[in-house]
Amino acid sequence: MTGMGGSAGAAGIPDLPGMAPSAPATPAEPPTHGLGVSLPAADAAAKTQGVFPYAADLWAEGLLWAALLRSPHPHARIVSIDTSAAAAMAGVRAVITHADVPGDAAHGRGVADRPVFASELVRHHGEPIAAVAADHPDTARLAAAAIAVEYELLEPVTDPEQAFAAEPLHPDGNLIRHIPLRFGDPEVTGEVIVEGLYRIGRQDPAPIGAEAALAVPRPDGGVEIYTASTDPHADRDLAAACFGLAPERVKIVVTGVPGAMGDREDPGIQLPLGLLALRTGHPVKLAATREESFLAHPHRHPTLLRYRHHADAEGKLVKVEAQILLDAGAYADSSAEALAAAVSFACGPYVVPHAFVEGWAVRTNNPPSGHVRGEGAMQVCAAYEGQMDKLAARLGIDPAEIRLRNIMATGDLLPTGQTVTCPAPVAELLRAVRDFPLPALPLDDSEADWLLPGGPEGAGEPGAVRRGVGYGVGMVHMLGAEGADEVSTATVKVTGSVATVICAAVETGQGFSTLARQIVQEVLGLEEVYVAPVDTDQPPCGPAAHGRHTWVSGGAVERAARMVRTQLLQPLAHQFGMSHELLTIADGKITSYDGVLSTTVAEALDGKELWATAQCRPHPTEPLDDTGQGDAFVGLAFCAVRAVVDVDVELGSVRVVEMAVAQDVGRVLNPRQAHARIEAGITQGIGAALTENLRTNGGLVRRPDLTGYSLPTSLDTPDIHIVKLVEERDVVAPFGAKAISAVPVVTSPAAVAAAVRAATGRPVNRLPIRPQSAVSSNAGGLGG
Amino acid sequence: MCQSCHVRAVSTYRTAGSDGQQPGTTGEGAAGLTTHAPQAANTVTLPGSLDEAVEALAAMPAAVPVAGGTDLMAAVNSGLLRPAALVGLGRISEIRGWQYQDGHALLGAGLTHARMGRPDFAALIPALAAAARAAGPPQIRNAGTLGGNIASAAPTGDALPVLAALEATLIVAGPGGSRREIPVGHLLAGFEMLGPGELIGYVRVPLLHAPQTFLKATGRTGPSRATASVAVVLDPARRHVRCAVGAVAPMPLRPLDAEAWVSSLIDWDGERTLAPEACAAFGEYVAAACIPDPAPEPVLEAAQSPQHGEPGTTLPPAVLHLRRTVATLARRALGRALA
Repeated sequence: MTGMGGSAGAAGIPDLPGMAPSAPATPAEPPTHGLGVSLPAADAAAKTQGVFPYAADLWAEGLLWAALLRSPHPHARIVSIDTSAAAAMAGVRAVITHADVPGDAAHGRGVADRPVFASELVRHHGEPIAAVAADHPDTARLAAAAIAVEYELLEPVTDPEQAFAAEPLHPDGNLIRHIPLRFGDPEVTGEVIVEGLYRIGRQDPAPIGAEAALAVPRPDGGVEIYTASTDPHADRDLAAACFGLAPERVKIVVTGVPGAMGDREDPGIQLPLGLLALRTGHPVKLAATREESFLAHPHRHPTLLRYRHHADAEGKLVKVEAQILLDAGAYADSSAEALAAAVSFACGPYVVPHAFVEGWAVRTNNPPSGHVRGEGAMQVCAAYEGQMDKLAARLGIDPAEIRLRNIMATGDLLPTGQTVTCPAPVAELLRAVRDFPLPALPLDDSEADWLLPGGPEGAGEPGAVRRGVGYGVGMVHMLGAEGADEVSTATVKVTGSVATVICAAVETGQGFSTLARQIVQEVLGLEEVYVAPVDTDQPPCGPAAHGRHTWVSGGAVERAARMVRTQLLQPLAHQFGMSHELLTIADGKITSYDGVLSTTVAEALDGKELWATAQCRPHPTEPLDDTGQGDAFVGLAFCAVRAVVDVDVELGSVRVVEMAVAQDVGRVLNPRQAHARIEAGITQGIGAALTENLRTNGGLVRRPDLTGYSLPTSLDTPDIHIVKLVEERDVVAPFGAKAISAVPVVTSPAAVAAAVRAATGRPVNRLPIRPQSAVSSNAGGLGG
Repeated sequence: MCQSCHVRAVSTYRTAGSDGQQPGTTGEGAAGLTTHAPQAANTVTLPGSLDEAVEALAAMPAAVPVAGGTDLMAAVNSGLLRPAALVGLGRISEIRGWQYQDGHALLGAGLTHARMGRPDFAALIPALAAAARAAGPPQIRNAGTLGGNIASAAPTGDALPVLAALEATLIVAGPGGSRREIPVGHLLAGFEMLGPGELIGYVRVPLLHAPQTFLKATGRTGPSRATASVAVVLDPARRHVRCAVGAVAPMPLRPLDAEAWVSSLIDWDGERTLAPEACAAFGEYVAAACIPDPAPEPVLEAAQSPQHGEPGTTLPPAVLHLRRTVATLARRALGRALA
């Protein structure tokens, strides 16, 4: 299987699977494991065959089913809650409300402002009010419906602009955070000024599997919660505080994660389940319906952005003024972090000598907002790229050229005063997508081969189709920002010829467990690496967000593996009388630099187990100060996208024909996985650009289902060409690798909007792009 | 003892019927009773003929007929509907095909969208075939039926505007082998309803031997519900163009004045072509008929838009866009039918 031909050490392990049949000495054979290899995920087969167990598939002896009563109103005062009818129903074991929460009544990341159950006020449609455990899911649902709640309806605050003046929705006030960024001279003006108002809609992460959890009471009075948490330790601490238990007595066991585009799982489900399990002494399970999932989990912040760009006659940016208003929904969640990203990246990856950005995150009675890939950065990208297009049109400069004239490079300053020290090959990225050949026009093809906007059975008419090309350049930060303690701990164990990784970094589909296997393969030269399931008995690894596991947890795994390697080789080196650095491990065999000495890992271990635990903690960051200045970010990643779209300008229907991507990745650790992540990110971005918007009406979510909320299908997903992956290693990151998943999500909506702008001549200042914004009276057909 | 040993994966949740009771686990009082619904196996009937199906429905008034189940089972799965019994129509072979009758096609209500989308069917009734091909992803088209589309009468049902434009007639089977006919428009508009124990057996559609089109605007490139749809059929024998607009109202709308006007313009004995301007005017006519201006407000509104009485200045932008979409679809549909 592997190419190392030497047979000296192979005698001891003659029947290794894959080694025995036809192992000809072909040293040129590419490696099948280690870094840089497209190692398939260990669970890929189980997932494709449908036998991989998710939380919704779990069952336990004596299982009860839970159901939540959720608020049908976006804003109301609770006058009374009568649970007696529900509790008296046959089969119902427990009904709990806010009065039954033994610990902290409120929880939240950062700010504990969200009640487990609404007590006096409901602040958004779908907020949990009570929970029921019963012996059948239908009974639980019926009992939840039988709980009588008397509401006094209050006027919902649904317009974030009205939140400032409105009555406080919460004791903490309506303003969650305000950042007034001041950078440079406010008096400077440019020769050319362009202004724009941009609106970004509410994208839902819409994970393929809705939220589900199983809570099992423990004999010691604690509780275990089986769920697809992406930040198990934070969820455990939150749960323990609400249950009034010590954190050690609450254990979160992470099950398979069926899709995570941000924060996965909803404490609004896990917390009631834990309480019900503690109350009834039975395991309790809940699998959320799609509707519940849409109502309750965090969405992308709907954002209103007002921009004024000043430039000189050559198109060099002079000053950017911006106002950014994030609709956080009723609770703070991670809105403060999203706002920091929005304000810091408000000017994009461009050199801007003077910048004045006001950012606010405010409470409303709209659905909750929180961490969704690229939060903050995605909304401003759509706006500043819209401004760059406006500037290009005003000055008659090519849109790619005006971007190149202003583009950022390593050593430039962010408007937060932070110097960009990491590789920033943004110009190279943009040139790569610009110079990639454009897709052929379908003029000469027969009509049947041309997928028109509107689809194969749609109403598209070639004569009404215009083609447009647009560019987007975007950036995100990696790891937690503003002084967040980004630390991860990993343990590596070697027994025989098998290595085990124990690390609480959750595999959310981002590929961490595959990466951990590759890292250990690379360092220890063992092919067989097992990554243990995650629970909170392991040391904390933090949330799976902002690419932190590739960096921080991957770094911890590497260090632990190196420590094991040293432990393994030190006695041998001593025995051979050479430094252990002169020994190499490959395919389970240890060889000296000169090839004279050779033994197997199993022999060297001699039945012992080797363990090592290590931590990785990147250099610290600092919070933004009261003028929005500070070294808030550990690292940055960049991406350039060129979108080609066809627009039926009479119907306003848009089809993305091609997306060309160039991305700054530091180093490709698993090529297939990297490509898959980029394609997934681009597709999510196309959804945000064209169809994905969870609509509300007076704070009520309209049509919370996958018919009303249109995700991109395979027909909506174009050819995605990954034109270039720039591998300039980031010296501070382990392996030099940067996070991959978020930046295409951030950049592609801006590129699609730019392309629709080019096709229609319309301003396109709202995402998702509505058909009426893509209707144009531009005469002449494609190429005509 | 490790609690997690009790946790394992199963594919479906268990009910008492399949798993047996565990007497030790029940508590006291009301909580001691179980509500696990006994799933009796005899609540699903699979009749082999239309009359048997009607009999089965008459025997169990609470039973719900199910054909493809694409709408019904979604409602069942989401807990919105709990039918006491089901009468499955999938084994009634007499309604899964079609036959010819006096210049008409008698379409079985059990015809699937996938079957109607095939070329042999498209040669008979092109617009219905086009609607069937546009009606969702392959999984839905394989299961969903013509009769189900009519019975669920969703505003976005793709077959409905075509049937309305074709002036199709439903043949409804009732108790005792009775048959009665209902024009499809009457059922969709609620003039006539299906009685208890009645089933849509067949749909009689005239064979017009002339071009027909069905066009649908959606929000994405992949399969999606219509935001607006237009069916146009030419009836050379009666020298008439018939048109119906779907998805903009609870039922398909027939712009009768626009039909009559455009029918009078066409030279039925000659080329049957129209100038592009005429097609465009037809589109506007259809759109204005289906999405009318709001009733004029007294005095103030009239005073505000005096110049050329710009239609629709008081409609919200989204509605204006819908009207423009209908106009474009109707223009294209007529243009393609006459091409």
